[in-house]
Amino acid sequence: MLRFAALLLCAVTLAHAAAPAPPSIPPLEFRERVLGNGLRVVTLEDHSSPTVSVQVWYEVGGKNDPAGRSGFAHLFEHLMFKSTKYLKAEQFDRMTEDVGGNNNASTREDVTNYFDVVPSNHLERLLWAEAERMSNLDVIDANFKSERAVVQEEYRESVLANPYGRFHEAIAPSSYAVHPYRQGVIGNIDQLNAASLDDVRAFHSTFYRPDNAILIITGDFDQKEVDGWIDKYFAGIPRPASPIPRVTAVEPPRTRDASYRETGPNVPLPAVAITWLGPSARSPDAAALHVAAALLGNGESSRVNQALVYRGQIAQKASFGADLNVDSGLLIAYAIAAKGVAPATLAKALRAEIERLAKTTVPAAELAKVKLQLLTQALNERQTPLGKGNALGDAIVYRGGARYVNTDLDELMAVTAADVQRVLRKYLIDAKQVSIEYAQDTTAKAPGK
Amino acid sequence: MKAIASILLFAAPMLGAQPFDTAPPVAPPRPIVIAAPDVQTLPNGLRVVVAQRKGLPLVTAELVIRSGTETDPSQLSGLADLTAGLLTKGTAKRSAPQIANAAEALGGQLDSGAGWDRSYVVMTVTRPQLPAALALIAEVVREARFAAAELERARRLALDGLSVALRDPGTLAQLAADRSAFGTGTYGHSSRGTPASIARIAREDIVALHARFYRPDNASLVFAGDIDPKDALSLAQSALGSWKRPALPMPSARLDDTRAGKVAPVVIAMPGVGQAGVAMVAPTIARAAPDYYPGVVANTLLGGGYSSRLNLELRIRRGLTYGVSSRLDTRRTGGVWSIAAQTKNESVPELVAVSMDEIKRVAQAPAPADEVEARKLAIVGSLSRRFETTEDLAGTIASLEANGIPVAELTRAIDRISAVTPQQVVEFAQAHWRDANLALVVAGDATGFLDALRKAYPDLRVIPQADVDLDSPRLMKNF
Repeated sequence: MLRFAALLLCAVTLAHAAAPAPPSIPPLEFRERVLGNGLRVVTLEDHSSPTVSVQVWYEVGGKNDPAGRSGFAHLFEHLMFKSTKYLKAEQFDRMTEDVGGNNNASTREDVTNYFDVVPSNHLERLLWAEAERMSNLDVIDANFKSERAVVQEEYRESVLANPYGRFHEAIAPSSYAVHPYRQGVIGNIDQLNAASLDDVRAFHSTFYRPDNAILIITGDFDQKEVDGWIDKYFAGIPRPASPIPRVTAVEPPRTRDASYRETGPNVPLPAVAITWLGPSARSPDAAALHVAAALLGNGESSRVNQALVYRGQIAQKASFGADLNVDSGLLIAYAIAAKGVAPATLAKALRAEIERLAKTTVPAAELAKVKLQLLTQALNERQTPLGKGNALGDAIVYRGGARYVNTDLDELMAVTAADVQRVLRKYLIDAKQVSIEYAQDTTAKAPGK
Repeated sequence: MKAIASILLFAAPMLGAQPFDTAPPVAPPRPIVIAAPDVQTLPNGLRVVVAQRKGLPLVTAELVIRSGTETDPSQLSGLADLTAGLLTKGTAKRSAPQIANAAEALGGQLDSGAGWDRSYVVMTVTRPQLPAALALIAEVVREARFAAAELERARRLALDGLSVALRDPGTLAQLAADRSAFGTGTYGHSSRGTPASIARIAREDIVALHARFYRPDNASLVFAGDIDPKDALSLAQSALGSWKRPALPMPSARLDDTRAGKVAPVVIAMPGVGQAGVAMVAPTIARAAPDYYPGVVANTLLGGGYSSRLNLELRIRRGLTYGVSSRLDTRRTGGVWSIAAQTKNESVPELVAVSMDEIKRVAQAPAPADEVEARKLAIVGSLSRRFETTEDLAGTIASLEANGIPVAELTRAIDRISAVTPQQVVEFAQAHWRDANLALVVAGDATGFLDALRKAYPDLRVIPQADVDLDSPRLMKNF
């Protein structure tokens, strides 16, 4: 669940990349307003295809799992497709997939977002339906239990069947000492089994409310018409009097290095991850960290890929990511070994690349390369109504305002070689690391024949 | 700013005449407009296909060789993919790191690989970088060096990658079911090869494949995005116009169309694995078959998308899986129909039995008209979304080129899907599925399901994971 999401786009040109100059990127001409009940609304007209994306982002995620209910926010996300007062279970699929659209949702540590794409003549119905499940969720026990079983299969698929699933799940609990990010998002079978319908009702009334949500509509619509529909379907949803519970835990700086070892029953090649605590995605250092991460880990020509996979031939895969959250994030160096290579060798090589970047000035051409990569990737993302909506949602949740969608790339482009060195020193070289080694479990005698 | 209006609504939500208990009506649809891509041919035979999309300054350029995994010799599976992968690992002018650097300095990523009926090199860049990107694509396709050291490096990476993939129960079940369904036939092997075949591939095999198939009259250059056909043609001419067409005509490729017939189900025993992978595979129609569109609708009804019958029954009603899908993989000279799902070990027998029932049910009676209508609209929608990004658009066109289907089919596909009737769907299922020899493979911790599965399939064979040989039609070493 690594996220490189906060790389957002704006009206810029790269002055110093290799000739010819990259194009100027037009800004996203969105509109914002806040309803009386606190619902934030962002709209962006785009008539390039006769489709529209409707997204509702709720500022609740894995970090808000109730005590003893690890994985609950994600389980709840699945239940939002079940019955409401006026919608049957799976009726969202009838209103999207069955008319040529689609829908899905995702849960991250900080946010849960629901996204629909429909032919634009269906927009009003989708607004009604999103308002309906914001107001009137009414899950029945049979649907709750079958969907919980689905989520447990999702857990088995991503954690138990995937040879590296247990490894990925070990990173958060090893890396955070106190912040609830440490519990991850997917949870575990036992705590999912402990969840009840009462938990579902309580979670909806606590977090699924207009003043904790962002409605994002992008694509083929008429602004005046859509404004009327938003008022009609959303403005009447009451804002609860109770405050929204917020996570207040602050992850303290690490005081020492630590290392952990994790095993799995089916691990063909060992792996290692090294993490450092990063700042919030809203930190002024975020842009420099994203550029540093791209230098180290973005693409085949990136430093860790060249050093570990290509030149050293000690890794099957190697990467580096700046996984920044609303609260503190993680900077993660990661590698899966080549056959016969020990995790300690990988860790040493990863650290050497980070030190080299921190201590030697990065060449201008290499810096220009990653900036153009980041710009092109961002441009790629905003080709569709869904992608534009995602960029807006990320800007609001992670950066603190939709306006950042049109300024963040300026910030990335302004990052200097000195900035890269400074943030690497601050967050990695002068800070404490946690390393997690992962290997085949050689002690357990597995059943079967 | 809207406070007054919302307070009024908030205070009196029931006063309005609007019936909030039912969804509002649907407005009249706006048409989906798909322009036919432009097709031109250079004097050397290279087809240049252009789908212009105005808007963002982004272009995908994809060079497709219309030969791929189907040309792998039987002992050398993975050859076409390894060859395509090595294109970017050194040319007469540049080393592998220099190529990666050059590509990424343009903001894009130079990807290459092979699949069924195609080998490709593709890159997405902003419009100003396109001439340089195309020059790079031309260089790697024409001047790849295939250095011995790079082959060894690629071989090690491929072997390590396979060692990971073959530990995943879903992937292992799928690959084993392909082999089981096709026996020694060409479609029984994987584009990634096997540990044994990858170990056997020699540099001369790669050089020979490259010389044989990488030629302008067996290639299509696809552009999708912010470029007009005139500029595209002139770029193509300058980058690839001097690419010589060999004097001899293209050799015809060998394709062993062996099918295994009825085969016993196989259980691959993976002790301790926390979930089982289930795969069912049978031969199916080619892309050019006259009943292709009814087949697409029948397959979607059965197992395509979220609301298919299989997903409804296995995921939504029974909670047995995170997702099940059925795939109609139609190729130039045949096809592979496969159903795949993962479930906890003890649920395997139920998942298999329900899947078989659902397959039969499609062939038993025509589906209700509204169900067929909904699935057709779902297909039309997902097809339309394939035109939204330059990468997807180029990939869709590349796939038509690889399959030898005129690209103007893009403009007709929606009408053809829309015209499929429930009767055609049931006829497709009766013709192709009623007596299909589905090869069933389950990879998982067999202690959880073996006895129950054996009751349904007394002839099933159990193979320990360590003894699996994907090169053997019986899936076992020494066979």
